[in-house]
Amino acid sequence: MMVLALAWRNAQRNVQRTVITASMVVLGTALLVVGMVWLYGLTGRLIAEGADQVGHVRLVDPDYAAREPLLPLYENIPDAAPVVEAVRSVPGVIGAWAVISAPVTVTAGEDIGDVFALAVGSDPGWFGERMQLRTYLTEGAWFGEADDEVLVGQMIADRAGLHVGDEVRLIGQTQDGSISPILGRVVGIVHAGNPAVDLKVYLRMSQVEWLTDIPGGATEIVVYADDFEDAPEVAEAIAALPAAEGLAVQAWSSREPFAGMIGVLQVVRRVVVGTIVLLTALGILNTMMMSVLERTHEIGVLRAMGLTRIGVVSLFVIEAMAIAVFGGTVGVALGSVGGWYLETYGITIGENVSQNFDVGVPIKATLYGDLSFDLAASAFLLGLVMAVIGSFLPAVRAAAIEPVEAMRIGR
Amino acid sequence: MIALLWAALAFAMPTAQELLAGIDAQMTYETRTATTRMVVVNPRRTREFTMSSWGRGLDEAAIEYVDPPRDAGTRMLRKGDELWMYLPAIERVQKISGHMLRQGMMGSDVSYEDMMNNTHLVDAYTATVTGEDTVDGRKCWRVEMIAKDETVTYPKRVTCVDAETYIPLRQELFALSGMLLKTWTMGDVRKDPTSGKWVPFTMRIEDKLQEGTYTEILVQDMKFGVEVPDEVFSTRWLER
Repeated sequence: MMVLALAWRNAQRNVQRTVITASMVVLGTALLVVGMVWLYGLTGRLIAEGADQVGHVRLVDPDYAAREPLLPLYENIPDAAPVVEAVRSVPGVIGAWAVISAPVTVTAGEDIGDVFALAVGSDPGWFGERMQLRTYLTEGAWFGEADDEVLVGQMIADRAGLHVGDEVRLIGQTQDGSISPILGRVVGIVHAGNPAVDLKVYLRMSQVEWLTDIPGGATEIVVYADDFEDAPEVAEAIAALPAAEGLAVQAWSSREPFAGMIGVLQVVRRVVVGTIVLLTALGILNTMMMSVLERTHEIGVLRAMGLTRIGVVSLFVIEAMAIAVFGGTVGVALGSVGGWYLETYGITIGENVSQNFDVGVPIKATLYGDLSFDLAASAFLLGLVMAVIGSFLPAVRAAAIEPVEAMRIGR
Repeated sequence: MIALLWAALAFAMPTAQELLAGIDAQMTYETRTATTRMVVVNPRRTREFTMSSWGRGLDEAAIEYVDPPRDAGTRMLRKGDELWMYLPAIERVQKISGHMLRQGMMGSDVSYEDMMNNTHLVDAYTATVTGEDTVDGRKCWRVEMIAKDETVTYPKRVTCVDAETYIPLRQELFALSGMLLKTWTMGDVRKDPTSGKWVPFTMRIEDKLQEGTYTEILVQDMKFGVEVPDEVFSTRWLER
């Protein structure tokens, strides 16, 4: 209790030094809040939306997964319906759909052109509910009743000169490699501002089944859980199903680009947070060291009066932490204003950047932060950590002073 | 003794030019019609196609797929160095060119490029007879051929030519690097009573760049010297 009282008194003794120390904590904490809101929001949304696009969990033929960049259509799941039905019965699964993806040439006119796209065939329910294509619809209408309806990504529409109502010829290959064409009609154009959506054409499953000659089959089955963070557990449950035997069951976090991205993002977060903490701690160290030097005689007296070395260390650390509680509170408040702005208005990088930045997950033209109580509390606690780190060395130095020597220096 | 045997052998052995000319003579004709069945086998499944075909000389050929229903109505026309394909699903004619020529016809081991072969071997290759061989009990001469122009589909071929019929019973087709690309074997060779030509009624093609795949072409009916309407070798016929 004495140490606490002394620490609190010392914090108030040199107002100027206390204000400088507190200001560093305020600045550091505010930067932490803004930085973490931005980093966690950006990466969190990127990952969440990416996982929604590719499925929280998916089932594929293992050979398809091994050669996926080549889109090997012959490595398909021949009879997808029973697998989908079995997957839907797994607790925690809220949806599952069969999908076929195949490369095609897109042609609007008489001549076969050289506009290449990825044709994605599935149930319009998946396109609307999970891929959010309805929200990206900028021209035309959603799927109706006709089988030949095609939704075209904006970039493909621009390159092929397609408009709503146009006839479109898609030329691909069957799973055996035969040239295979289908005729469609553009019912709508979708524009998400990134190639993950805009470089594709979307059709009913029946159309792509015919195109690829994979009747009743799929190149993958995409599955969704209540929370994408639950994907590993759901994947484990699905893998135990008899219907999934022989198939690779992959949670989004184990697939590229996420697997590599998560590791990199964690490193980036740690580097940014660590840098802010370290720099702020250095500033605190500087002011606390000045305090130790100024109070050498006082420390000697206290030691002579029976204060232990641990007591001396505690004195300085608690003093710093007291300042940090105040500074951290103000810093979190200030930082939250900036965080709120990032969460509400975001930062616009523009479609020129987002359309040309293809990392395999959708990147939007405006990037938003994510402010949360947990994040603010973390920043506050990190502020205390900064104070502890910054004050520890000076405190140890103070504790090492011999009382007799300290009192002699003080004279 | 050995020298004598060798001399005797050399005397009996035809020249490479003679063998190539013999192959060319068997494989060319004025006009021809045929009905064939093509069986395409890969590790996952087997598909069968029935085709009607027409040919005139080296430069003109037409094929129409009549079965299975998915591919019925698909037509192909080759005139000289150009190849077109009619796709009934989109009611359009597509010219097959560039990298598409290397794709397998209907996903088979026979590429569109293989279809485009319209040059006599004697003009396209220099050849050497390297010895005797036996294929399915038939005596044949082994001929190694090197293309005069490196840009041809198969810059090197090793062929076993039937000593009696001049049918290439087995061919190994190589890339410029020496990598084996395909093998092409012919069998069930019969003599056509009208033209006197020897005709292989079965062919088996294996793409050596893929595992577990092969294509068999089984001739069900073939006629030479028949009247073939000019229209068949026109792009109008494709969209008929």
